[in-house]
Amino acid sequence: MLRVVNFAHGAMYMLGAFATYYGAQLVHLPFFVALVVAPLVVGAFGILLETTLLRRLYGLDPIYTLLLTFALVLVIEDLMRILAGPLGSPYSAPDALSGATNLGFTIYPTYRLFVIVVSLVVCALAWWTLERTAVGARIRAATENPVLVRALGIDTRRLVTMTFGAGVALAALAGVLAAPTTNVQPSMGDTVIIYTFAIVVIGGLGSIVGSIVAGFALGLLQTLGGVVYAPISTTLIFIVMVVVIVLRPAGLFGKPENGR
Amino acid sequence: MRRGTFVAFALLALGVVLPLVVYPVVAIDLACFALFAVSLDLIFGFAGMLSFGQALFWGGAGYVTTIAISRAHVDGAVGILLGVLYALVLAACVGAIAVRRAGIYFAMITLGVAQIQYFSAFQLVDLTGGENGLQLNGRGMLLGLPVENDIEFYYVVLVLVALGVWFALRLTRSPFGGVLRAMRENETRAIALGYRVDRYKLVMFTLAGGLAGFAGALYALGNRLAGLDMVDWHTSGAVVMMTVLGGLGTIVGPIVGAGLFESLDYFVSKTAIGQETNLVMGAIFALCVLLFRRGIVGELLAGRIRHRAE
Amino acid sequence: MRPFRSVSAALASALLYASVSALPGSAADTGPIKIAVITDMSGVYAALSGPGAIEAVKMAVEDAGGKLLGRSLVVDTVDHRNQGPLAATKAREEYDGGAELALDMTNSATALAVAEVAKEKKKLAIVTGGGSSALTGASCNRYTYHYAYDTYALAHSTGTNIAASGGKTWYGIVPNYAFGAQMLADFTDAVKAKGGDFIHADLMPLGTTDFSSYMIAAKNAHPAVLGLLNAGADTVNSMKAAKQFGLDKVMKIAVGLLFISDVDALPDVFEGSRITTSWYWNEDKAARAWADRYAKRMHGLRPTDIQAADYSATTQWIAAVKAVGTTNADAVQKYLDGRQFNDFYAHGGEWRARDHRVTHDMYVVDVLAKSQVKEPHAWFKIVQTIPPSRAFRPESQSTCKKDW
Repeated sequence: MLRVVNFAHGAMYMLGAFATYYGAQLVHLPFFVALVVAPLVVGAFGILLETTLLRRLYGLDPIYTLLLTFALVLVIEDLMRILAGPLGSPYSAPDALSGATNLGFTIYPTYRLFVIVVSLVVCALAWWTLERTAVGARIRAATENPVLVRALGIDTRRLVTMTFGAGVALAALAGVLAAPTTNVQPSMGDTVIIYTFAIVVIGGLGSIVGSIVAGFALGLLQTLGGVVYAPISTTLIFIVMVVVIVLRPAGLFGKPENGR
Repeated sequence: MRRGTFVAFALLALGVVLPLVVYPVVAIDLACFALFAVSLDLIFGFAGMLSFGQALFWGGAGYVTTIAISRAHVDGAVGILLGVLYALVLAACVGAIAVRRAGIYFAMITLGVAQIQYFSAFQLVDLTGGENGLQLNGRGMLLGLPVENDIEFYYVVLVLVALGVWFALRLTRSPFGGVLRAMRENETRAIALGYRVDRYKLVMFTLAGGLAGFAGALYALGNRLAGLDMVDWHTSGAVVMMTVLGGLGTIVGPIVGAGLFESLDYFVSKTAIGQETNLVMGAIFALCVLLFRRGIVGELLAGRIRHRAE
Repeated sequence: MRPFRSVSAALASALLYASVSALPGSAADTGPIKIAVITDMSGVYAALSGPGAIEAVKMAVEDAGGKLLGRSLVVDTVDHRNQGPLAATKAREEYDGGAELALDMTNSATALAVAEVAKEKKKLAIVTGGGSSALTGASCNRYTYHYAYDTYALAHSTGTNIAASGGKTWYGIVPNYAFGAQMLADFTDAVKAKGGDFIHADLMPLGTTDFSSYMIAAKNAHPAVLGLLNAGADTVNSMKAAKQFGLDKVMKIAVGLLFISDVDALPDVFEGSRITTSWYWNEDKAARAWADRYAKRMHGLRPTDIQAADYSATTQWIAAVKAVGTTNADAVQKYLDGRQFNDFYAHGGEWRARDHRVTHDMYVVDVLAKSQVKEPHAWFKIVQTIPPSRAFRPESQSTCKKDW
């Protein structure tokens, strides 16, 4: 949305998972509370980063933002490693969500169903906010023509900060959801971020719908690819990415002018 | 110009005494990374395109050279040549797709293709050794001469790297480089003047890829192995950091950046905070992007111009 | 012309240095003898080796009086950060700087890289951390020994044990890279030898974090055993998924490679799985006595089998150097080859001459639940002791082209 490529998004995802873990360790924060608190805390941290550091680079080539966030990844990951150690920290799903649910055709773990439902709800909410509310309209307008929006008396700076914070909070939410299913460790964002980039580029930068569709389609494609011929499934997503960029530079759902 | 010559000789002199200060193989690494960073400067600094997958050529060529020497027992020179050839061909192919895209899209394509190679190297176990890497049983011969002695090989590398840097300098000072610079400053005008912008970019990207491959082949030979970290995206990121830290578009800057980075790594890793090198590097780089975007050499040059203007 | 003069002066001094350093060991024979512990000090393997490995080797050196052949004996810490090239460079620097032994080398890439350097420099390397059986196979050499465990021993001990006790049908979750392929081949051999087989093996693409679809498939296949033939974060993620899908309730779970430090970090995750280890700190009195000494120096932590192997290997090497009266690698290697020994770590140990595998008892263990553990870190229950002849690759099947 902001034309900011945030390399640190993976690190925010990691921080979300750690916030959940430490919340449980230090103050016995229940999972459902963490679901709200952790994204808020990490989102606030994101806002802090945006106002103190990233803001200085607006108006320059967006490449510099990418470089700065890359540096931030190194720093944040290393600090977490010093704090938490390189190995994973244990975190289990709450009892209410453990066990499995019979869906008729298959038995699926309740927690994973919960994750799927939450993801869908959050995606729908994000889309609705951006496309159907006044705030969303302002954000879209601000990214397309910041000068005009500012002339209309809207504080674009605050808008950008809030949007960035929201993006970070969503990454942190993903981290909270991932905490019970994966290994909570400092480098957990590393593998995620590259895939996320690919998905966003395929879907089209700035297109929420595109990212959602691309995300689900590629997840499916990857699994199917894995069944047909396992070695290719990891590279598949990047092959798709290259093909999409060649054929439709703006991404599947992006607007054409975003291509250059 | 005379000052430029002086700088070149000073760097070369530093290069010559380097093995006195650091372990010879570390000196080889440093020289190779310097050339690697210069190759990125050609594409990022002079053509304005950030390649976030430069390890594609560096690591790819490293693997090809290692495979050629260990499997076919070719002479080191032939191995290096094959590595460079691989990098050139790959760069031409990737470039054909990528140069029409600008900014972040270009970075993403290069990153994506580099990841494809990374996963391939991981999984083509019979060819690459997978996560175990591919070890050479000695460097073998280079043009029929033995190069097992690390110090001797370092001086060979130094000469080759110097040649590579000289080539890069010639390239940027040629009319060809001039057109590219004009394009970076005002692409629309360059197009209006009738230059086929994409073709110029493609040539530059290909040559830069070949140069990165040359550096990578030397690195693999220097270390007598090729491994996954050579094709990892963190390596692509590290070389971007070196180049920007030293100073984009200055050729000398990336050499300084690579030297600083590698020696920092070498000496910091021997101290008490040795495990925290990423933290130190990341913090320095963040400061660089925030405060002195021209990089070390770029700021020095700018300071001199300002001084002269006064 | 000034730059030229400085260049030529520098060149001259550099060449001088080169020629001096090329002279065979002049001052090196009176300085300290170094042992280089090449390990991961802060990455994912730091807990199973890392600082604990350094401490273990230091203990061995102190127990030997800190001296060897009248010269002082020192331990150098070398952080390889899990990078093959870095490990090789550091090993070279260490060997050139007076190190007579390189130890540990956690992860196969660094182990294989250092093994090549050892061969080139004609100095000894003892691998305890890396597990690739190629070290005693295609990549074997005169100066490298493989001490603690290897993929062959893990697969054959665990596979044979479970298949012999009724686990005939296996379902494999296998990472799709060199380690996984090797593990699957070895496990399949072992299971087949006992009349069982893999009904299916899923190859995990690199970076798989969501194992749910594989777990559903595994559950529907109704195997007797789920074999998680992976390592590190993959094992954690797949084990968590297996438990969420309730697979641990209906089948046995075998894990390819697991260290006690992993269980320390994530006890709930690994509870109930069956694995093989080369040593367990609570296996007998001698082991426990050493583990107590270690714990005192390491804030109560218990050693992994790798850290114990580091101590044991150092002690054995020191004894060998004393016996032959020199650190010369050729002499020490000749002395060690074929030698049999016993200590708190290695039971029925032998420095096998054929391929430089150091063989000893291996242990198949079950990971206990938190409620069953009687004292901190006592996670394992030994199910079976596998004698060296059955745990390790037989000499007759060796792929090592012995060229020394």
